[in-house]
Formats: sequence, structure tokens, C-alpha cells
Amino acid sequence: MNEHTNTVLPRGVTQQAFKEAVAKFRILLGDENVLLKDEQLVPYMKVMMPVEDAAHAPSAAVTATTVEQVQGVVKICNEHKIPIWTISTGRNFGYGSAAPVQRGQVVLDLKKMNKILHIDPELCTALVEPGVTYQQLYDYIQEHNLPLMLSFPAPSAIAGPVGNTMDRGVGYTPYGEHFLMQCGMELVLANGDVLRTGMGGVKGDNAWQVFKWGYGPTLDGMFTQANYGICTKMGFWLMPKPPVFKPFSISYDSQDDIADIVELLRPLRIAQIIPNAVVIANSLWEAGSANVRRVDYYTEKGATPDTVIDKIIKDKGLGHWNVYAALYGTREQVEVNWKIVTEVIKKSGKGRLITEDQAGETQPFKYRAQLMSGVPNLQEFGLYNWRGGGGSMWFAPVSQARGSECDKQRVLAKRILNKHGLDYVGEFIVGWRDMHHVIDVLYDRTDPEETQRARACFNELLDLFEQEGYAVYRVNTEFMDRVAQTYGPVKRRVEHAIKRALDPNNILSPGKSGIDLNNNL
Amino acid sequence: MNIDRRSVLKGAAWGTLASVSLSASGLSLANILLNTDSVGRHPDLVLVSDAASESAFLQGALAVTQGRALKVQRTDFSLNFIQALNHSLHSGKSIRLIGLVDDASAGLIVETARSAGARMQWLGQHSASTAQSRHRLISTQAAHGCTALLGQQMNACGNGFNLQEHRLHGSDFPFELAAQQRSEKDSSQWAVALGFALAALGTPSTATAPLIATSPPLRGHFVSFSIET
Repeated sequence: MNEHTNTVLPRGVTQQAFKEAVAKFRILLGDENVLLKDEQLVPYMKVMMPVEDAAHAPSAAVTATTVEQVQGVVKICNEHKIPIWTISTGRNFGYGSAAPVQRGQVVLDLKKMNKILHIDPELCTALVEPGVTYQQLYDYIQEHNLPLMLSFPAPSAIAGPVGNTMDRGVGYTPYGEHFLMQCGMELVLANGDVLRTGMGGVKGDNAWQVFKWGYGPTLDGMFTQANYGICTKMGFWLMPKPPVFKPFSISYDSQDDIADIVELLRPLRIAQIIPNAVVIANSLWEAGSANVRRVDYYTEKGATPDTVIDKIIKDKGLGHWNVYAALYGTREQVEVNWKIVTEVIKKSGKGRLITEDQAGETQPFKYRAQLMSGVPNLQEFGLYNWRGGGGSMWFAPVSQARGSECDKQRVLAKRILNKHGLDYVGEFIVGWRDMHHVIDVLYDRTDPEETQRARACFNELLDLFEQEGYAVYRVNTEFMDRVAQTYGPVKRRVEHAIKRALDPNNILSPGKSGIDLNNNL
Repeated sequence: MNIDRRSVLKGAAWGTLASVSLSASGLSLANILLNTDSVGRHPDLVLVSDAASESAFLQGALAVTQGRALKVQRTDFSLNFIQALNHSLHSGKSIRLIGLVDDASAGLIVETARSAGARMQWLGQHSASTAQSRHRLISTQAAHGCTALLGQQMNACGNGFNLQEHRLHGSDFPFELAAQQRSEKDSSQWAVALGFALAALGTPSTATAPLIATSPPLRGHFVSFSIET
């Protein structure tokens, strides 16, 4: 294969323009960093969405190692109107994987920009490049014996802080709201300028990673879940490692308990008695994470019957709902807070409290405790074996942290999923005042009929939740434009006005979060 | 017409009788069954997730190496496994690995390969039930002919199957093959044929996958791949 016969091209780009751009990429980056062969691009094509693989196929992938190279890539793209899809580690799986949002976009893979630029153990800050993984950071912290703790999402080891934060992902520690802990970005803009947010533009400044706001408008947020710039450095805060860490679980016996659980936890969470992003996982999430496969219990098509779920719960000693939380601090602090927590649970009259000593090495307690204490693991990948077949879409509506809201969402989601023959595999992540209700829509991509059902199901989830006033905070690339519509026309027009101003040639990830100048908004 | 092309066309003719459909792109794909301008080496390592897939897939792979021992490793989704794989792919030594693994392991293996800048000639998603097996494949020029070979061998043993192949720089239309089940025999033959096709990928082998009588039949969901650094 050579570029003369490239059958996948970016939208509106001629073979000739593409060929010229590729020649310039080669001069800028070196041949080994310009990937055109099909066998080099297949690793960018493993999507989990209910579409043909061809719909998200890249025309090429390029890897850059310096900010100057990223600026050079942007310059070439402007000259030839080549759209690029930027990834850092590209490990967001059910949110779209490494594949571009539109067929033919050139993937700009920043995996080789993987330097930990600075970690300050006194101020507890970090500055990293986009290719840095959490495992790399964890190893660095261990190697240097730093009294610091990481917060990461479940793919932990292989994901990275820049990608996760830029997509406004969450973790499970007290620093679990990752964008809240971000402090200072460096971005290459579409015109090649390098913007540093916050204090980063001040000559001689050393407060870039400690003071977020700088002067004038605070711009960081508009670069997240967006396509206005390419993040080449990001600062963030690290949690001091507490002397005592006490994870625990509370197991509940009824699906209907969710409302009571949320009412019980919210005051503890807002008051920071329980300081971390608490998880409330349902039985099937627990089962999948504990390596249970659906086929071991049920082989028919369709939703798994409640009677079967009850059997799994009984066999595996799971709850219908399973709360994971932890206390952090000095021995005295943890003792006081533990007393408060146990008394509140006792008073509620339901829920089985499980401590680390009682759980021992059992899953899923072990991996949950690791996630809450900043120790990477990959245990939650077991979810992909629950049904199997490679289909996964995260449906992640937010709600107020109120029991009634969570119960309403739970009932609605289960009804829609089961109607389409799919399972409700969900968890609530308790923010300070909100809930991220994360549902893994798992299906068999080898089965065209089930794939079609999964697509219809996801559309119905979006539609019916919207009718009830709910929207997702994040979505896979196939549904980005649809979700952007939920947030209203004014927001979309503003987003597109900013895009026109900053990226008139529409070269940076057009289609990300539904922002694409070809929408003519 | 070479012998390989004849055998594929023969397979297609059998298939017509057994409700096989072979698209136009499939016929062109059959022109070169085993492309000599491709990988051209036997695998150094075979990754499998469990004993059942190991048995069937490995029998197919061993038929290609004609008795030469293959290094086999069980996968899981632990950090240790992924770190070891990452280390191998970054070792600087050229390595070719093929595998038939579960979905969770596959997600991690593909990501590790991408990060390492490895080439992937083949990525397949498979499911097998009593009635049939389904195969959704992404393949490349280097794996030219593998899909046809797989389809032909599955058809020859009478297992019901449905196969769809996408090529990044191939035809706009996927290559599709399907056949109704004509045999009551076990349905593990697809995994044997797959192990054979992937091990033979790019080599000038003219052998055929062995027929086996594995019991119990291999059912469930799997992902196959051929990766090379």
C-alpha cells in the first residue's frame, strides 16, 4: 500500500492534498512516525460502538515527540485542510477508544510525549506530558518514595492523567473529580500559538501549578471535552498520602435500597466525613468485576432474568447494591470518622458493613480498595467478559445526589435496557453534590441483530432521559453530536463561534463533542 | 490457477449448495491465498485464555509449524501479564505473536500493541454457539487470503458460520461468507482453522488445518489477532 492508493481519506481532502501533507509529515516527524500501512493502523480501529469498523477508520496516524513538532503538524494541517484527531493514551474504551470521531481523520498520537516533567512532593503538584500513564506516575512515586497518592479511573495503569482530565473523567479518591484538581495547561492552538493557562503566561512565574485562576477570564475549562487546542502539558494536584487508609464496603439486599443509600451517604460526603468519590455498584457490575460470566448462569438471548441475578448474588455473596468508601487521615481522625459512619449505618437499620479484614483478598473488594488508595489494577476489565462480544458503551447521566433522583434513573435505565434485551450494569459515583450514574451497555458486536438493538437502546436511553431532564456528561464518539443537541442551540452556537475564531480551517478534531464547522451552526 | 485458488473456489461451490454467499470482493481475495509478500514467519508466541481455546487453536497452529514446538502463554488481565507483554513488545527483538483470547484480555493486548508501535495484521471478534459461529474481522494486505482460508475450512467441515471481513484499504464493501450448519459434529473446528490460518499467515504453506474431534465444543466469545514488532 502507498499513499497513491489510499482509499481512506479525510472528508473533503483530495488524494493529491493528502499525499502532499503526508510528504511534509515525513519530513517533519521522520518516516517511522508517519503510519499509513493498514497493519500500522488496525490497532487504532478496535472500537466498541455499534457501527461498522470502517466508520471510524483513520487515514493515517502520526506521532509527535515535541511541542514544536505538534506546532509543525498543525501548520501542515492548515495548509492542506487535514483534520486531525488527537489522542494522548487513547484508552477510554467505552467512550470511543483511539479511533477518530470521523472516518479519515489523521490520528495525532501523543503517546511518545511521555515525560514526567516535575513532581513537587512539598506542594504536592505534578506537571506531565500527555503520553504519561498513571502506572508511570505510580512507579515514579514508588521509586522516589514520595508521600503522595494518585487518583485515577478504573483502567488506571494504562490510562493517563491528561487524557482523563481533558475528558473530565473521575477517580475514586478524595481527589476523584480530576478537572477540579487540574492546575495549569499548555496548549498548541490551531494557528500554532502556544497558550499557557493560569499563571503559565507570566515570565519567570513559579506558581503555574499552584494557582489556577491567573488573571482575567479563566480558560482551562473550555479546552476540556473540546477541540480548540492540543494539550501538550498539564499540571495537577496530588493528594498527600495519609498515614491511615481505611476502606470499607456496605452491602444492601434490595434493588430498591438505592434511594436510602444515597440519603444516608450524602450528608457524610458533603461534610467530608467520607471524603472520597464513593461508589455504589449494582450486582451485575460486581459480578463482572469478580470474573463472573453470564454464560455460566444463562445462555439465552435477551436480558438476564432477575431470578438468575438473584442466584449470582447468592452464589457470590454480593449485594444488590454495594457501597465502596474509605476514610483517610491520622489514626485519630479515622477513628472519629469511623465511629460516625458506623453509627449512621447502624441507625439506618440496613446494610452489612464489610471491613478490609473481613474481605481479605476477595474481589471486587480488593480492587476497589486499591482504586481508592491510588494503587493501579486492571480488575474491572472483567466487565467485558460478562456478556462478551466486544460491545461496550458507557451511558453516564448525571443527577442530583438525592435518593429519589437516583431511584428514578435506576428504574428508567433498567426498563429501557431490559426492553432491548440488555442488562442493567451500573454504578453511581457520588460527587460532592451530584451523582455520576455510569452504565456499561454491554452487547455482542459479532451479532448484527444484538448490535442493532444496542444502538436502538442507547438512542432510547438518551431520548427518554432527556425527556426527564437528564443528560450525560460524556459519551462515545458515535453519539457526540446527538448529545450536544441535548444541551441546547445557544450553547452549540457559542461553541461553534469559538471554533470559527480559533480554528477557522476546522482542523482540530472536528466532531468532538459535536463541534464541527461543517455543521454550519 | 494455482492449487490454493482452486480449493477456495471449490469451497465456494460447495457453499452454494449449503447457502454460502461469497461476495465479489471475496473472489478477488481468493486470488492469492497466502501472500508471500507479507509476514512470512511462524509465530514466536501463542496467547490463549483458557484450556479449551488453547487446545483447538493450538492444534491448528501446530499443523503449520509441522511439529516445531510453539511457546504458549495463558493470558489474564492482571498488571503482571500486561507489563510482561509490554516488556516483550518493547524489547527491540522482532516478535510475532498470535492468539485467541477473551474480550477483557484482548482489550488490553491490543492497547499494549498500539502503544508499542506494533503492527497488527489481523484482529478478529468471534462468537460460537451450538448453531453457528460468527466472525467479525479486520484484516490487512499482509493477511491476504486468511479469511478465505478460514471460510473455506469451516465450510469444508460443515459447521454453520457467518463471517464478515473489513479491510482498511480494501473494497468499500465488506467481504462476507455464510453457511448453514450441515454437520452435527463439534463446532471447535473454526478455532482449529483460525489457529492454522493465523500461524500460516504470510508463509508459503499449502497444508490444510487438521480435523479434530474436540469435546466439548468450544463456545463463547473470543478475540483473535496477529501482532508483530
